[in-house]
Amino acid sequence: MNRKKDKGFESPRPYKLTHQVVCINNIKSFFRDKSVIGYVELTIFPTVMNLNRIKLEASSARIYRVRVNDLEGLHSFTNDPTLEVCHHESKQRNLNYFSSAYTAAVSAVDPDAGNGELSIKVPSELWKQGDEMKVMKVYIEFSLDQPKGGLHFVVPDVDGSMAERAAHVFSFGNQNSTRFWFPCVDSYSELCTWKLEFTVDASMVAVSCGDLVETVYTHDMRKKTFHYMLPIPTAAPNISLAVGPFEILVDPYMHEVTHFCLPQLLPLLKQTMSYLHEIFEFYEEILTCRYPYSCFKTVFVDEAYVQVSSYASMSIFSTNLLHSGMIIDQTPVTRRCLAQALAQQFFGCFISRMSWSDEWVLKGISGYIYGLYLKKTFGVNEYRHWIKEELDKIVEYELKMGGVLLHPTFSGGKEKDNPTPHLHFSIRHPHTLSWEYYKMFQCKAHLVMRLIENRISMEFMLQVFNKLLSLASTASSQKYQSHMWSQMLVSTSGFLKSISNVSGKDIGPLIKQWVDQSGVVKFFGSFAFNRKRNVLELEIRQDYTSSGTQKYVGPIKVTVQELDGSFNHTLQIEENSLKHDIPCHSKSRRNKKKKIPLMNGEEVDMDLSAMDADSPLLWIRIDPDMSILRKVEFEQADFMWQYQLRFERDVVAQEEAISALEIFPTPASRLALTDILEQDQCFYKVRIQACFCLAKIANSMMSTWTGPPAMKSLFTRMFCCKSCPNIVKTNNFINFQSYFLQKTMPVAMALLRDVQNLCPKEVLNFILDLIKYNDNRKNKFSDNYYRAELIDALTNSLTPAISINNEVRTVDNLNTDVRLILEEITRFLNMEKLLPSYRNTITVSCLRAIRMLQKNGHIPSDPSLFKSYAQYGHFVDVRIAALEAVIDYTRVDRSSSELQWLLDLVQNDPVHYIRHEILSMLAKNPPFTKAADSLLCNEALVDQLWKLMNSGTCHDWRLRCDAVNLYYTLFGLTRPSCLPLPELGLVLNLKEKKAVLNPTIKSEQGPGGPEVTTTMAFTSTLEEEHVVMEPALSGVAMAPQGLKRKAETPLGSSPEPGQVMQEEPSAKASVKSKFPTQEEEDIDMDTVHDSQAFIYHHLNMLERPSTPGKEPSSVEQAMLSMPGTPMPTLSKESTSSKHGDHHHHHHHHEHKKKKKKHKHKHKHKHKHESKDKDRDSHAFSNSPASGRSIRSPSLSD
Amino acid sequence: MADSVVMGSGSLNSGSRSGSSKTSTSPTDNYQLARRRTLQVVVSSLLTECGFESAEKAAMETLTEMMQSYYRTNMFHYITEVGRCAKATCEHTARSTPTLSDVVITLVEMGFNVDTLPVYAKRSQRMVITAPPITNASVVPKALIAGQKRTHPTYIPSHFPEFPDPHTYIKTPTFREPVSDYQVVREKAASQRRDVERALTRFMAKTGETESLFKDDISAFPLIAAKPSAIPYLSALLPSELELQTLEETDSSEQDDQTDTENNSSNVSQDDQSADKENVVLPPGGVVPTGKANEENMIDNPYLRPVKKPKVRRKK
Repeated sequence: MNRKKDKGFESPRPYKLTHQVVCINNIKSFFRDKSVIGYVELTIFPTVMNLNRIKLEASSARIYRVRVNDLEGLHSFTNDPTLEVCHHESKQRNLNYFSSAYTAAVSAVDPDAGNGELSIKVPSELWKQGDEMKVMKVYIEFSLDQPKGGLHFVVPDVDGSMAERAAHVFSFGNQNSTRFWFPCVDSYSELCTWKLEFTVDASMVAVSCGDLVETVYTHDMRKKTFHYMLPIPTAAPNISLAVGPFEILVDPYMHEVTHFCLPQLLPLLKQTMSYLHEIFEFYEEILTCRYPYSCFKTVFVDEAYVQVSSYASMSIFSTNLLHSGMIIDQTPVTRRCLAQALAQQFFGCFISRMSWSDEWVLKGISGYIYGLYLKKTFGVNEYRHWIKEELDKIVEYELKMGGVLLHPTFSGGKEKDNPTPHLHFSIRHPHTLSWEYYKMFQCKAHLVMRLIENRISMEFMLQVFNKLLSLASTASSQKYQSHMWSQMLVSTSGFLKSISNVSGKDIGPLIKQWVDQSGVVKFFGSFAFNRKRNVLELEIRQDYTSSGTQKYVGPIKVTVQELDGSFNHTLQIEENSLKHDIPCHSKSRRNKKKKIPLMNGEEVDMDLSAMDADSPLLWIRIDPDMSILRKVEFEQADFMWQYQLRFERDVVAQEEAISALEIFPTPASRLALTDILEQDQCFYKVRIQACFCLAKIANSMMSTWTGPPAMKSLFTRMFCCKSCPNIVKTNNFINFQSYFLQKTMPVAMALLRDVQNLCPKEVLNFILDLIKYNDNRKNKFSDNYYRAELIDALTNSLTPAISINNEVRTVDNLNTDVRLILEEITRFLNMEKLLPSYRNTITVSCLRAIRMLQKNGHIPSDPSLFKSYAQYGHFVDVRIAALEAVIDYTRVDRSSSELQWLLDLVQNDPVHYIRHEILSMLAKNPPFTKAADSLLCNEALVDQLWKLMNSGTCHDWRLRCDAVNLYYTLFGLTRPSCLPLPELGLVLNLKEKKAVLNPTIKSEQGPGGPEVTTTMAFTSTLEEEHVVMEPALSGVAMAPQGLKRKAETPLGSSPEPGQVMQEEPSAKASVKSKFPTQEEEDIDMDTVHDSQAFIYHHLNMLERPSTPGKEPSSVEQAMLSMPGTPMPTLSKESTSSKHGDHHHHHHHHEHKKKKKKHKHKHKHKHKHESKDKDRDSHAFSNSPASGRSIRSPSLSD
Repeated sequence: MADSVVMGSGSLNSGSRSGSSKTSTSPTDNYQLARRRTLQVVVSSLLTECGFESAEKAAMETLTEMMQSYYRTNMFHYITEVGRCAKATCEHTARSTPTLSDVVITLVEMGFNVDTLPVYAKRSQRMVITAPPITNASVVPKALIAGQKRTHPTYIPSHFPEFPDPHTYIKTPTFREPVSDYQVVREKAASQRRDVERALTRFMAKTGETESLFKDDISAFPLIAAKPSAIPYLSALLPSELELQTLEETDSSEQDDQTDTENNSSNVSQDDQSADKENVVLPPGGVVPTGKANEENMIDNPYLRPVKKPKVRRKK
């Protein structure tokens, strides 16, 4: 936006790269030592006079020799700051500090800013030459020894040669990570042509970008050299390599396309690749542009970093995407992955981006054309369903985590201008983003592209893409005129300019709303029908104050289905207008026996008896085309939702109706859902959703439910034998819709509960019978997913065991139903060892079931089984399932040894994906959170995690961001509460912090998102609490005063420095007065940290969930109403029972004792709840909070 | 051989009955005892014929011993010797079963006047000894007779052994009505499969390492221990043999399914199986144009090209 496209692209470097040679000729065995030796040669044109320094990226490579134009050059590493973000002596442990330091570190080596960690001094002899702008050749010899990033080696531990062992290696990375495996200009905006040479064992194949020119044996005939040429200018991050004993399959439809897979998988590869040509044809047709590269290669590797990664003229996939022809469920998933990869070939590899802030255009376009492919291949229903799914996802994420900004602008490059203060990471660089955020970013990008399409029509949209591609391909054929190559880079402004040139439309407001601004729109709608005026009075309100939302002004489409037909209205959402009057077309008088026209022209008969006699309205939909990124909460009567479900033909409307009907448990809803379930014309995903809704409704209607359990008779009718209705037909999955339904219905049925809140016996037996009579012998498809879902159904049927006196779980007191379930699970799990199912789906389900049995107290809770399944050497899906169970165990049982085990795995596991998943699952299901106290939260853990993100994950950007995410979940932005206060003197402390803490304070005080303000509000309450306690103990009368005044502090405002002074210990106050305001804040922060730790115990004492974001006010209330008196009472008691197990340094000794006391109590409550209950209630009897503490159930589940 | 003697002599047994019932130790012992008893009966009947009214037990034993014992002593061991020699004679003529003439020759050789034998046999005071109860006969397991044995064709002499039962070399007819009730069949198939699976997994669990869900009772619900494999994706991705087999079986019906959805999967025609095997190789779903096969040879893909020999040093 801020750059004019005409000016072209301005490189941040004082030279232009035109050609690069990469040669990896590993003299030593590639796989045995996992080491790589090679050289690169960069051909550059200086663009300035006296080029004396060249900066490149070469993380972790060892450089042997550098020559510039055959003259020895000097090189130095500018000590890569990302290796260790903060110096390890630093005692700082708050995330704000880390984030800013990390961002600074990444910036320091950011190639987009012309930086780099390898700095080469050009020999002075050549300086002169620089004047004449002659070409320079920079030759670098390097080696990598067991690289942790960049290249991933998979060497199975079996006998045989490397080829027999299926050992292979491939490049990987998050965004631009090519620097990890060879020195380069690791930027998406620096294009050049490539010559790539790889010498590998004769039994191996080296697959890389570009055309394979020739393969030549080495002199000893034991090795081969693969020579690749890539004449199309490509950025270094789009270069990749895969070496292994691959089986080669030339695509039978397109001979220039070659597929590679690991040994023995060739039959699967053939099956999987049998439809790739259709995807090619589709993209080439809609883009009216040939595939830009002369060849395409797909490589399937084990232990892949991500499922799909695209590079110039090749894509690397996870081998787990391969499937045989018998597998139903995986097929569409794999097709989608292939389509995604291919879309990224056009936009992402061929067309690269100018800067990180233009990333959204590439992701948006590739995601958008991928969507078009989905629409064509899987149908409009599937497409619309997908769009809704993506929209729901992004809306949920933004409302929870804060906005996602597609096009961040960083004016002036000042660190402090953070466009997204609500996030705990910086979005300045792709490497600082949380993975989840990046996924949402991609999701939003393609949704915004769709919005643009809505605005300018698909035809123009495709013309724009075609224009971008044809400009780029013209540019790519130009030799060495590197200034032309910038046409191959897309920028936001260039893209927008193309749009306005092609369509002549101004999409400025749209871009401003969704691209330059973060957040989604949240609508609340309700309506009334004015009978006299025959007008529909629609009220649409917006919530634009809470986190992740924004205000919408502009048109909105409303569709009203009346008796006489369906009518679209476009309303203008303006500043202050909430109400909209929409005239109705039909009279409320109903014509008998008249068909009702629908939106699609169809005319249907409806039973109108359910509807309001006065109103002609059948249903109303707000923004039916999803042309706003929004969430709509619309209120209409249950019968309207039912009509919408039955008669609206749009799957999105049907899905909305189903989720709305959950709160209307009536026989009419039941009927509507059952009808949908039975209708085979209905989209199967809608029917699947209806299953679950029906289960929920049935549970709400428990007392009035008549007939057999929901869905049972339906299932019997659809899938069981006519002659013997208790036996399911032999499997025949030829009809996929009914297959998916057959799979889902038992799972939904198992959610049914009877009056005792147990799964009805009838349902359980029914599911057990399904398992028993399952017969797949005549089926040409595998039933592994079906069986896995039947196990899931068993899992769903489980309810918590009735525990008597916390007895130990033994075989003898196993519930009979549970015994049956357990027997099935054992048999399935054991059979899987003998006859493994595809992707071990059954093991995965069994592990989940066992964890559920443990969690519900049927069998003893024990992580050892899961730990054995989580070992390296099991199939990745199994490992993930097992790890999920261990993580769940860690949370429920608060086991520090398991947490330690998990973190060790994060540091040591060979598979990057597993390490990533452990951290993200831990963040999703954290063992504790910043709001709750936990024994697990200790100094050692803080240090370990800190080390992990500080230096332990420097080879993998994604993992580091995961660690940051986890740290945030566990401890929040500020100093973890479990840490002792810095023991050093106050002055020294200030000195150290002055430089580092300031930015963090600033960011918290800045015009932050609501989340930050609430945190701040919470801290202020904390402080007040802390402050109040002290006087209460020392018996100073001013306590209530202080309390009151502090409590009045408005929620959103930060504590003013001056306020604290009165309550601070006099020593502190005196020190403080010497310093200007800034330092005072520092002290303030200290107190906050310290008191924060303190308050947690109090909160736990109250047994509140104490999520600071949600309930600060109520906590405050509790505090307010609690006079100083209960505290002395407690402290008296505490003197008798002292527990020195917790070391916590604190300024105030009285507090310390009290805290211990509370902690102790808290612990007890979990362990011997029943015993201690009486004593507890007694102890708190004079506290207003006491009632709460008794009522609140024990958390031990 | 001894039997033939016993049968030949035939005797009445009175005292031996009681003994037979309680002596049932081992078959060989049994046999020895029965033989001895029969001999005793014979000896005592001979003695009776000769006019003895009673005999001492020791005398009886001695006489019996003389009749039966082997070369152990120098005593005259008559019957055994007759049997042995008869067998030798018979084997001399390349037969396996002694015939009457063998016995006669033996007797003659032993200096016995054979002509006196018929006279002796027709003596007036001859006592008829009934055959000993054939307890052993019932012990011999009866061969299962299934079906009609085939008679010898005319060109096979009748002394040749009989044909074995037809089920052993032609077929085994079963006469049970097959259960056709669908529900029962399904029920049976299901429980059978479940039993097999359970037995198999239990066996595997018993013979290998296991993990247990319960600490108190390790044997309850044993789980086969999870063993990491070096290349885990192979077993997880490749269809198991069982599945492949199923696929092959159903593959023939696949063609039917595409044309005729009515009768899917139920009619597996065995005949097509071999013909359809080709289809497994070809990617199902898309039918490759027939011309492609010929073109296959002409595909110019750099990865299919032969690897070049190093001629000159390419790199600087």
